[in-house]
Amino acid sequence: MMTRPLCLLTLSCVLCLMAAPAFAKIDLVTLPGRDGVQLTIYNSADLTLVRDTRTLTLKRGTNRLQFSWVGTLIDPTSLEMQPLARAGETLIDSLSYPPRTTGLGVWSLSAPAAGPAPFQISYFTSGISWQAYYLATLSNDEGHLRLEGYVRLNNRSGEDYPQAVTRLVVGKIHLIDSIAELARRRVPYGRPGGEPPPTPAPRLSGVRLEADASVAKAVFQLAPKEIVKEGLSEYFLYTIEGTEDISDGWGKRLISFTAPRVPVQNLYRFEEERYGSLPVRFLSFANDAAHQLGREPLPGGLVKVFRSLDGDGHLSYLGAEEVRYVPKGDEVALNLGPALDVTVQPTLLEVQTDGYEWRNEQITGWDEVQEVRIVAANHREVPAKVEIRRSFPVTSWELKNSGNAGTFSTIDKNTVQYMLELAPGARQSFSYRVTLHHGSRAR
Amino acid sequence: MRMIVPFLLLVLLPALPAAARTKLVALPERETTVVRLDNPAATLVEEERVLPLEAGLNQVDFAWQGVQIDPDSIRLTFLDPSAQVQLLSVAYPPGEAALVWTLRATRAGEVRTRITYLLAALDRLVTYQAVADREESHLDLQAFLVLRNFSGEDFASAGFQLGQGKPATGSLAHEETRQQALFAAKGVPVVKTLTWDAALQPWEPKREGLTAGIPVHYRIANTSAASLGQAPLWGGKVRVFQGDGHGGTIFLGEDQAEFTAVGEELKIYVGDSRDVAVTQQKLRDEVVNPRPSRSRMVLYDTEEELAATVENFKKRAVTLDLVEHIAGEWVVGKVSHPFERRDAGTLVVHVPLAAGATEQVKIQYQRRNVRN
Repeated sequence: MMTRPLCLLTLSCVLCLMAAPAFAKIDLVTLPGRDGVQLTIYNSADLTLVRDTRTLTLKRGTNRLQFSWVGTLIDPTSLEMQPLARAGETLIDSLSYPPRTTGLGVWSLSAPAAGPAPFQISYFTSGISWQAYYLATLSNDEGHLRLEGYVRLNNRSGEDYPQAVTRLVVGKIHLIDSIAELARRRVPYGRPGGEPPPTPAPRLSGVRLEADASVAKAVFQLAPKEIVKEGLSEYFLYTIEGTEDISDGWGKRLISFTAPRVPVQNLYRFEEERYGSLPVRFLSFANDAAHQLGREPLPGGLVKVFRSLDGDGHLSYLGAEEVRYVPKGDEVALNLGPALDVTVQPTLLEVQTDGYEWRNEQITGWDEVQEVRIVAANHREVPAKVEIRRSFPVTSWELKNSGNAGTFSTIDKNTVQYMLELAPGARQSFSYRVTLHHGSRAR
Repeated sequence: MRMIVPFLLLVLLPALPAAARTKLVALPERETTVVRLDNPAATLVEEERVLPLEAGLNQVDFAWQGVQIDPDSIRLTFLDPSAQVQLLSVAYPPGEAALVWTLRATRAGEVRTRITYLLAALDRLVTYQAVADREESHLDLQAFLVLRNFSGEDFASAGFQLGQGKPATGSLAHEETRQQALFAAKGVPVVKTLTWDAALQPWEPKREGLTAGIPVHYRIANTSAASLGQAPLWGGKVRVFQGDGHGGTIFLGEDQAEFTAVGEELKIYVGDSRDVAVTQQKLRDEVVNPRPSRSRMVLYDTEEELAATVENFKKRAVTLDLVEHIAGEWVVGKVSHPFERRDAGTLVVHVPLAAGATEQVKIQYQRRNVRN
């Protein structure tokens, strides 16, 4: 059930008598299997870099090697062959895509001696993907979070990759052409003057739902594997311990990390222009050592947040959010959606205008004075930190606060922020009087 | 559909009507064929053949059924200056992809000729593969020539010439695509830059829940000091890899390289950095110097101030360019970091960031003579 030998990638070695024309028929001589394969799977694009190691039996002189990939999602323009031994003496002369064939390439190379020789063949394929996702469980007092990070691998590439060294890349890559589109081209590099519409993607329909069975198998039958993590350029590389069978049509789940007790802060943000009339609850923590994290960036993925209800392990589901990529040392703020049990109520108490300026019997400027009262209430049994932002329609203004306005700061030219700490069941109110200078009254 | 360009030699005594032409099979093989690919929009083929001519009038029939030759581009040149051969006329037979040259030879013998024509649907691409070292200070650059032949013609042996230098030689069949090495340069110095553009990137990505990548570029000089500079770098796709320190590489990204003349710089957009974050706000935007008066203002200046928090979450130092776009007349005031006025509407602030550092950038400027 597990292994379905598609054998879609074949490599054959052909002895070439001196200078046969490129379009002559090629006879198969040997069909070497893989010695090893390494997959480097990207998550920001449908892209996997495959490095395939094979031992070919060569003749001294010119050899021609045929590689075919019919039915897979390989980008033929990415094909590359490199000798792993006697690299300076073995010369790769050319790679030809013979006429009136599809999914076929022929390398021409010169070997200094006859005998077996290891080669690495690399190429891009689409159809293999991975995503990160997280399960977060908030403690009963909402002060800590148990955070589990997972990766989910899926192979829809049309090719089996047994015993593959698997590496996952976190990072935003720049591509000019999608690999899937390149794989579907009738001619590898297209035709001069334009390419006819690509052929339909092979085997992408009919994705098999029984892939979940392999997930269960991976989780319950295998011991958790270590994932080695390291930074490289603007990317982060996860290398899964040992090898994995990445079979076509199957999925696989691997645990990336577990942080059992991450201190978290509950923050309720109130900003009418951005979130509407209800405060939005955020659960924030930092990706650093103080929060039992910080060993690697957190790849973007869905975080499902639960809350522990009691000592019997009962949970309630708080919500889910697609979290952005979080660099090491940066903060995470999970948006759990609008809150009903923490409220912020702004009330416009009074409006006055004054200081009118005129030109040609037209008003050119005036001052507007607003008196606003803010009442914040925490109806929960745990403390709540409430951030209130108020924006003004002009950039010239003066503000005076009264009452317990918490910690006040100016964010930008037309935004101010109040930070309140509300005890369980507490209510706090304050007022501000803002003078807005319109038109020619702007200073 | 494909037909090899035939070359028929016809010894003609009286002139015959075209419909009754008799094609004698005297097919001189191509001796040398050069396919010139300098012009990305048109491919020029030069082929040399030896014609056995009779004394007197000769008709040479050149046909290209199924081959995409531009008929008006076909030229015949006699390479032997001592040959007493004169081209008298060129005729196009009706309903055929062919032409007939009428030649006058003063004596019988072999004459070396070159036939030149523009051939459609045969072209080339140039692709590059760059492998950067782990420090991203140098890279090995390899260029490939990709020949695409859908012209209808087979070339059993030809030289494929791109610019100066030695041509790539080999065969190229109709409907064949072939990739060959063009050149390789090792240890090319590379400068890595990050650029945050105020017009392109979000100002408050964290608050908006966005992962805002900051574009990363590699800059390479096409100079001899950089192990290049022998020839222009043709435009084409560049795929950039980096050594992973374990004997392998990872793919960093790809870009379309522009044509880069010798001495110029090639800029390759590799991907985005998400380990450097920029949060920018406008702290001040005040009207000053209203004219003729504040109440009757038709012209004014502004005092503006931008504040950017730049965080480097990487373990390595980087330099970030902050690109600000300022419309109209403006003068720069106090700026917290080195800057340059790139053009009339662009201010670039260079922000060096130590590993793990956070920099506060302040930019003050005054816009002048803003009309109400």
